[in-house]
Amino acid sequence: MDRDNFNDDELNLDVSIDSEIEKMPRRFQRRRPRQLVPDYIDWKDVDYLRRFIPERGKIMPRRISGVTAKDQRRIAKAIKRARTMALLPFVAD
Amino acid sequence: MKLANNRVYEVMYIAQPDTADDDIAKLNDAITSLVEKDGGTVEVLEGWGRRRMAYSINKKTEGYYQLLEIAGSGQEIAELERRFRVNDLIMRYMTVRVDEDRKAADKKRDKRERRKNRNGKGFGGNSDAGSNDEESEG
Repeated sequence: MDRDNFNDDELNLDVSIDSEIEKMPRRFQRRRPRQLVPDYIDWKDVDYLRRFIPERGKIMPRRISGVTAKDQRRIAKAIKRARTMALLPFVAD
Repeated sequence: MKLANNRVYEVMYIAQPDTADDDIAKLNDAITSLVEKDGGTVEVLEGWGRRRMAYSINKKTEGYYQLLEIAGSGQEIAELERRFRVNDLIMRYMTVRVDEDRKAADKKRDKRERRKNRNGKGFGGNSDAGSNDEESEG
């Protein structure tokens, strides 16, 4: 009982929290600058959409492009629409 | 039943590349009259012309692209797509409802502009509030 209370107090000390932050690996703190995306993503704007399509014709993952999750969904939808109208390839070789 | 009458659709079709220009014009006229019969309007009629497709459809590498923007209730779209399906000239079509996404985009733009204005004025506003506080204290 006494020991538990003692531990709780120590955890709440500022010093211990600071040292825990220092222990965290730095790669989790790295932030890529957010990429700005237009308000309206037009599925007919092939030139714009091509920015998110590397060689192979796949949709670029947002871990590489740095767009927000919401924007990634909008971009993906626009690319898929462009694909059905043969404006963009499903696979490029 | 009340029908919504303020929807905007983008309709795009790809016609056979060897379609005569007259046939395209005739087709577009037919589409326009069909849409207007159901109370809709054709807002945009934009021919992209013959264009290379990203992959072949029906063994064709090119297609005649036509874009339309139709405002209406949605009933005309149903009829239009039915016609597209039986028309041999049309290799592919797609309809996208755009009014909601456009509205969302406008809203986002407005919000951004309002925020910009507020930040511009905010400087003066804050200092005013500060002086008011001082007065009440004194």
